[in-house]
Amino acid sequence: MKKLLNDPYKYVDEMLVGMCAAHPEIYRQTGEGGRVIARAGSQRPGKVGIVSGGGSGHLPVFTGYVGHGLLDACAIGDVFASPSVEQMAEAMKVAHAGAGVLRLYGNYGGDVMNFDMAGEQLEMEEDIQSTTVLLADDVSSAPPEEGEKRRGVAGMVYAFKIVGAAAEQMRSLEEVTRIAQETADSCRSVGAALTPCTIPQAGKATFEIAEDEMEMGMGIHGEPGVWRDKLKPADDIAHEMVDRLIADRAIDSGDRLSVMVNSLGATPPEELYILYRVVKKRVEDLGATIVMPLVGRYATSMEMSGVSMTFCFLNQEREALMQAPASCAFWQVK
Amino acid sequence: MMKVSWLQDQLPRLAEHLESSAEELNGLDAQLGDGDLGVTMVRGSRQLLEIREELPDDWGMALLKCAQAFTKTSGSSYGTILATGLMAMAKQKKGQAEMDSSEWAGLLKVALEAMQQRGKAELGQKTVLDALSAAQKKLESAPETGLLDLIEVVQQTIEEFRDKPCQIGRARIFQDKSIGLDDPGMVAFKRLLEGIVPN
Repeated sequence: MKKLLNDPYKYVDEMLVGMCAAHPEIYRQTGEGGRVIARAGSQRPGKVGIVSGGGSGHLPVFTGYVGHGLLDACAIGDVFASPSVEQMAEAMKVAHAGAGVLRLYGNYGGDVMNFDMAGEQLEMEEDIQSTTVLLADDVSSAPPEEGEKRRGVAGMVYAFKIVGAAAEQMRSLEEVTRIAQETADSCRSVGAALTPCTIPQAGKATFEIAEDEMEMGMGIHGEPGVWRDKLKPADDIAHEMVDRLIADRAIDSGDRLSVMVNSLGATPPEELYILYRVVKKRVEDLGATIVMPLVGRYATSMEMSGVSMTFCFLNQEREALMQAPASCAFWQVK
Repeated sequence: MMKVSWLQDQLPRLAEHLESSAEELNGLDAQLGDGDLGVTMVRGSRQLLEIREELPDDWGMALLKCAQAFTKTSGSSYGTILATGLMAMAKQKKGQAEMDSSEWAGLLKVALEAMQQRGKAELGQKTVLDALSAAQKKLESAPETGLLDLIEVVQQTIEEFRDKPCQIGRARIFQDKSIGLDDPGMVAFKRLLEGIVPN
């Protein structure tokens, strides 16, 4: 393991201190051990609180997306480990401004269990109304007929943006929840990895892959993908990823969608742009239009080299919300 | 009729018994999982002792505090599952200051259902749910069953499942290895019951 760290057990805590110190106008730390990141300043009364949570190791997901027009608070666990029920409850309490709270996060067993528990506790103890919408956009994590088992990956970023904007417009919990579910349903992602990542506390790579190999469909924690073979040219990879996405949800002529070509951590922007040119042509050849493409590092897996591709299908409502102002340390929409 | 003070009286012995079982539970868990089940139980019961004096008279709110003792101190799934059961019972008892032993079968039933739903486990997969279900069924058919007999039912369940494979959680990845081993979650449940003074 070769990383810039002190004590592997303080990796997350020191990271959070640094992130908040660098952007005090955006983030503040709260909760026991500082494992909840909330927006700087106070909550706007009557605004629905949007919270997320999950393990560390995916910046900007999750904590990075706390900010105006995005999340209100986020509970963060150790690298690839779920936050505790109490941390999740704390995030919800901080985000609550009288109009209820939406929990918006990825479909991972521990997160689901703890977040549901936190919601029940707060409902019983403080009468805080809350709802849940899970992202399950990774098409290679389960076949369509078992869609409820799919994991949430970079589609989360679209959900944070669109739903955050809806909450900012002071829409009700019911409305925000509907928009969140519709956004989750309209996202599809697929990933491909070239190298593994290393969890600081474990100190070794999460899996082994040969120097000349790649894996298609790999999960963001190194969950096994759909095939492993020799590394292919970028265009072949881009075509296969598009094929897999449109096999799951067809692109029709006239569709409007945002496309994200996302680095899993170590892949440079240059390589993402090489892939993007293929994606753009494919989408436009089908008669569809790309709105606000996102090419960069939006949802990572430590220093894994590789890429994920997400399609977020838009309607008029989602497109307007997508373009509404938002601001965090990692992403600005003006 | 039991008041919350009955529960308060139980906690010191319960905590003591869990402390003395910690090493055994960690060991059982280490063979199949990450080896911290004893730690989970000890941390939870120490927190229960901390809040013992503050427990409200309302059974619902008291059980909620007990659930939180586990969610506050533990990130492990067993802690959350246990808290889920306590929370389901808490909802049933909200606003009530008294509890009759005839209610146990019903309360364990709602706890079992909630735990099943949260953990996505089914009966027969060799988890704490199997032991809980056996105890629940016994109470349902014979509401007067004493605590010692209930512990015996749980022990029988542990033995019955010993030579079956674990089918859920981390242990399902190496099911064969789990054959012949007692399920740590069931044993922890038995130790919990043993920590209560029979009346």
